[in-house]
Amino acid sequence: MTPDQADDPPQDPPARPPVQPADGSLSSTPPEPASGGHRPRSARTGVTGLVVLAVLVVAAGLLWDVVAVRTGHQARRWRAEAAHQVAVRELSDTWVLVGAGAAVVVGAGLVWLAFAAGLRRWLPLGVGDGTAAVDRAGVAAVIRGRAHELPEVTAATVKVRQARTTVTIRGTADPAAVQRELREELAQVPLARPHRLDVRTHRADR
Amino acid sequence: MSRSTLNRTVLATTGLLLAVGGALVLFGGLDLYSRLHLHPPTWWPLTSPHQPVVSTTSRTRWADRSWWWPAVIAALSLTVLAAAAWLAGQLRRSGPGTVHLPELRVRSRALEDVIETRTIELPEVSRVRTRLTGTPHSLRLHTTLHLHPDAAPAPALAAYRDGPLSDARTTLGRPDLESVIRLHLAGARRPTHSRRHLD
Repeated sequence: MTPDQADDPPQDPPARPPVQPADGSLSSTPPEPASGGHRPRSARTGVTGLVVLAVLVVAAGLLWDVVAVRTGHQARRWRAEAAHQVAVRELSDTWVLVGAGAAVVVGAGLVWLAFAAGLRRWLPLGVGDGTAAVDRAGVAAVIRGRAHELPEVTAATVKVRQARTTVTIRGTADPAAVQRELREELAQVPLARPHRLDVRTHRADR
Repeated sequence: MSRSTLNRTVLATTGLLLAVGGALVLFGGLDLYSRLHLHPPTWWPLTSPHQPVVSTTSRTRWADRSWWWPAVIAALSLTVLAAAAWLAGQLRRSGPGTVHLPELRVRSRALEDVIETRTIELPEVSRVRTRLTGTPHSLRLHTTLHLHPDAAPAPALAAYRDGPLSDARTTLGRPDLESVIRLHLAGARRPTHSRRHLD
């Protein structure tokens, strides 16, 4: 075991463990304070890749054909046909309206993706400096595991959302007692923002 | 500009162009201007439901000007180049390939390996993956930690911070090395049906 691990924190440390000064020469600048656990933001690589590919295909096709026409070749069928279609179809044409509606929907979706944080799988953790987040499925698994451990709980469904967790239990257990236990379990996860946990009894068991 | 900001700018721009273009066609095609008693200015495009989407006249309006075709070709070339550059950027390793320490240069991959080895030694950690990203002047350390079942998250995080992360900061001489942690918890390994009845 290395010296660093020898002084691991005790079993129940404070919510924000003290950050050690990094090293003698540079320890005069303390690490950044906790960033308040703001939500992590997705890099949006996948959907941007699709958009960039679509733009690339359309622009490269047009460029190829425009250069071909400039150098004395015939315009390709598809471009002549497209130019013809947009020149004869009126704005009230059904296909034009369908296309425009689709463009509005897709465009609004892209704008939404551009501004929404994304990464809904992750709950921000409030520990020390930098950013940290925990996966919601893992939190749900931990809560579910603890619930199944409790006496007189025969089944438990756990839903973890951004700000609250709902646990539905089956069995004859007292929901208030289960709720106390599970809140204690959830408190082990140092979440950055307030998070509610409520326990309900399955309707058929009432 | 960070990769996320660039991507989000691309999405917002494309989305706005699509949405505004589509909305203009819808307004004209459904004749919403006269139905809603709106009076767009005379230069406003696509106002009548009976006009074509792009008439031959407007498509070839500037076709006989000397600047038109060079401008079209330049704009299309720039678009193609920008898209190709974006795609090529995805293939590169994100982040610096080597990191300069006071006395030597270290490959980022080697440094990541060291941090991973130090982290996997922690009793709470079952799996770890690290990535050094950012620029040589503002490095960021991304760490994905998988914990063992029954490992308490807060002590595990503290052990990582005070051990491998703190050591990495010391080694790099960068107490401000930004840390981004993704934590995976494992549910208890007990079978879901073994219940203790404490009657």
